Amino acid sequence: MNGWHGRLLHVDLGRGRCRSESIPTALLHAYLGGRGLGVRLLRDDYHRDPADPDLPLLFAVGPLCGTVAPTSSRLVVVSRSPLTGTVFAASAGGPFARRLKAAGFDAVRIVGVSPQPVVLTLTPHGGELRPAAQLWGKRVAATVAALAEHGSVAAIGPAGENGVLYASIVMGDGEAVGRGGLGAVMGSKQLKAITVAGDLPTVVADPVRLESARQNVMRLFRASPVLLGELGLGEFGTPAFVDLMAQRRLTPTENFRKTHFPSCASYAGPALHRAFAPLRYGCDDCPIECKKRTAQGLALPEYEAVSHFGALNGIADLQTIVAANALCSDLGLDPISAAATLAAWGEMRGRFPRPAEVGPLLEAIAARRGDGELLARGSRRLTVARGRPELAMAVKSLELPAYDPRGVYGMALAYATGNHGGCHLSAYPIAHEILRKPVPTDRFSFAGKARMIKIAEDSNAAIDSLVACKLAFLGASLEEYADLLAAVTGSEYSTQALMVIGERIWMSERFYNQQNGFTAADDTLPERFFTEPGSSGDGIAIPPIDRSRFAEELAKYYAMRGLNSQGGFADPAFLEYQP
Amino acid sequence: MKTQIACYGAKLVSDRVAAPGRVALLAQDDVLLHYGADDLVTLGRELLPRLNVTALAIAAPARPCGDLLIARCAAGDEVIVPRDTETRTFLHDIPIVRRPPDGVHDPAHLASLLGGRKGIAVEGLGIIATGVTPEQAYINVSSVYHALFVKLLLDLLRDGVRTAAEHELLADLRREVTAAPGMEGLSFRPGPLLKPEEILDEMARVGRYTVERGLVDSFFGNISCRAGAILYISQTASSLDALAGCIDPVPFDGSSTVGLTASSELPAHRRIYEMTEATTILHGHPRFAVILSMLCEHQADCRVVDCWKDCPAVRYLGGIPVVAGEIGAGGLAKRVPPVIGATGRAIVFGHGVFTTGKDGFSEAFRALLEVEQWCQRDYFRLLDTALAASPKR
Ligand SMILES: [Zn+2]
Repeated sequence: MNGWHGRLLHVDLGRGRCRSESIPTALLHAYLGGRGLGVRLLRDDYHRDPADPDLPLLFAVGPLCGTVAPTSSRLVVVSRSPLTGTVFAASAGGPFARRLKAAGFDAVRIVGVSPQPVVLTLTPHGGELRPAAQLWGKRVAATVAALAEHGSVAAIGPAGENGVLYASIVMGDGEAVGRGGLGAVMGSKQLKAITVAGDLPTVVADPVRLESARQNVMRLFRASPVLLGELGLGEFGTPAFVDLMAQRRLTPTENFRKTHFPSCASYAGPALHRAFAPLRYGCDDCPIECKKRTAQGLALPEYEAVSHFGALNGIADLQTIVAANALCSDLGLDPISAAATLAAWGEMRGRFPRPAEVGPLLEAIAARRGDGELLARGSRRLTVARGRPELAMAVKSLELPAYDPRGVYGMALAYATGNHGGCHLSAYPIAHEILRKPVPTDRFSFAGKARMIKIAEDSNAAIDSLVACKLAFLGASLEEYADLLAAVTGSEYSTQALMVIGERIWMSERFYNQQNGFTAADDTLPERFFTEPGSSGDGIAIPPIDRSRFAEELAKYYAMRGLNSQGGFADPAFLEYQP
Repeated sequence: MKTQIACYGAKLVSDRVAAPGRVALLAQDDVLLHYGADDLVTLGRELLPRLNVTALAIAAPARPCGDLLIARCAAGDEVIVPRDTETRTFLHDIPIVRRPPDGVHDPAHLASLLGGRKGIAVEGLGIIATGVTPEQAYINVSSVYHALFVKLLLDLLRDGVRTAAEHELLADLRREVTAAPGMEGLSFRPGPLLKPEEILDEMARVGRYTVERGLVDSFFGNISCRAGAILYISQTASSLDALAGCIDPVPFDGSSTVGLTASSELPAHRRIYEMTEATTILHGHPRFAVILSMLCEHQADCRVVDCWKDCPAVRYLGGIPVVAGEIGAGGLAKRVPPVIGATGRAIVFGHGVFTTGKDGFSEAFRALLEVEQWCQRDYFRLLDTALAASPKR
């Protein structure tokens, strides 16, 4: 079979069994892989509570994985988030994804709870469960080192074991599946880590066409100032955004009380360069190489992490920020939710953490010890428990990342409509509102944004199913990726065909959420953004968002999605018509 | 949105891309908005709901480049491949649709082609393109037109002029370029430009001039000015005739990344300032310069395949150096700066022209205009030579 293997590994931790299943070809064509395949495979179980042992945790790669298609060494983990209660899909890049594919599987479905801690070892011979009591309690780096002989490793840290609601799953040789607390789902199953090894190739239908499509993508990457320009992500990594967002006055500061942090230059891209002389590396063989690490192997933080441990907590000290990020990685914590929860706590008690307190607080969170017990539940539960719910800067309980919605109205809408909660990646309107790609839009206007957000949500759902990196689309477009997909699979795909697939995935997710009790009331922003201004200055005014205009655009969005005025599905049998 | 579609629809005509009165721009917000000719709007209404896009533009082109190219295509050809490098990078290829026997195009077929590419060329109708905003639909129509124009004129020169319609188009163009205005009516601030507000204002005005004189396709191109430690440069995807608020101040010492949104040619501009005495730079894609840059007498016996990026030679057009090189840091940013110092002018293979000024924008603008005028004259000189040499039919 071209592109796919057509197989998934079903792992029943309760019974200690693994078996290989075939995946119907029609489903692969209709959902591609990654997020789409994961969401489809969740269909019979989406209603299960995140604590239900039978809730599946799905790892899925896509048809481009294992080929020369740029940025395609990625996977998506899908389940229901214990933090948000929504369906969740989070993507990560690195060799782990390629090796999972090379083990001969498009997806791994994990159900049940193991009676004792285990490690799942995956090879072309199938899956095997090994006792891992000696690893339980270990941090990520130590776990990865202990398992290195088995190939690439994805592991949880103490945070996942202890059920921190924003625990991550860390790829030992790549990124983390950071958001949504999927590490806690893995921990609840007593699954400490997964190792993958294999050398099965992804069969490519038309290698000549693939090479030419690859060249087209590379040409666009090289022409993109944001990706490979001298101030771009290849050079500075995503912290290149620090200066830009500061200049646009949309840096969330002190738990979103302000939108400007005058000291942010101390941790901006150029400052990281001066302090660490980082080496560039990519997720596996990604040509953009936006990841940065020191010669000693210390991974440097992404934009979201530097900005949230920085401005959001009022901290300017670079060493503190870098150390906090590294500690999150080792403990298996999502740095965005961790930093945002600390900031909400800071505003609540009238004092943001001092630099020296950050490390010990993160340790306490991972261990659920002392203040960490409450902080481990995320900003919404924390602020509700203390009677200050208005201080949770989260949508559907997912802490907002480092773009203040008062300075980017498309982002405001996208935070609200996101199926996974307040995530920047569901539609990433920063591309056009700030980075001017593919064309600039007025960041202080809602005009036309409903349609743009819908298009981007569909498009990103397709990208997450190929699976490709969303940053690649600051240079290339679905048009080139449709060519790559056609070359790999031997079936023709167009931009439009991928958009149809993306829409199907998006709507399925929304349907799951609706059945699980989410309504239009959940599609909104924290009150602060409608009532308090941001930090105006430098000729830029940051007023509160106009609530009625926001509501009007949200209503347009529902209509464009074919939903009723309450954001609901007119047809309760929606899923029955989906492949 | 309503004003946007009217603005970009009108712009297609004022840019001399679309024939007057023969343009339509549609956008779907919660309702469908439209601007332009009724028959084209009717077709647009059939197409837009089939596509997951915001906007769609249909334009009967100012010159029938598409129809003439389609007529020259072999029977089985389904696409036109641009020969210039900029549109080749962003459009890949342009699907063509031949006139059906009954003259009525099938909307389902047009929509399916539009579902795969940014723009298509439809015989007897014109160019149709889509976008996530009305502006992007406008840009895509404009880029397709640029690509078709450049390819047609290159093909006519290489393969000969065959039909009366082709002769007519060339005669029209010859009249148009001869009558085109030069520097008259334009005024420039004398340099050196030092104050930020003065620089921003002058850049916005000169940017507008480049569009008015047709020295850029749609509005692609960029403009910069150096003042001490700061390089002021137009932003990526900015409209040269609307630069207010779209100029990035980029520190030379790399102390900030606010220039992340600067033009993709930032590295070329920076290096030109480092290697020459220039204080201003203009870059545009004037069509005849793009065309002439691709004519190379060594092509038959040369081993370089991708001339546009790999040709190591420096050739000359009327004394102006021509170099190859891809957009971005790796290509033309390396090749242009070393050759532009001598004349303040350089042409990039299949792409466009860079010009510089030592003192204010007047010198750079005059240079850009002169390069294009020289290339226009030389194109028709080469054409006349070719026509004289070909056997009379
Ligand atoms: Zn250019």
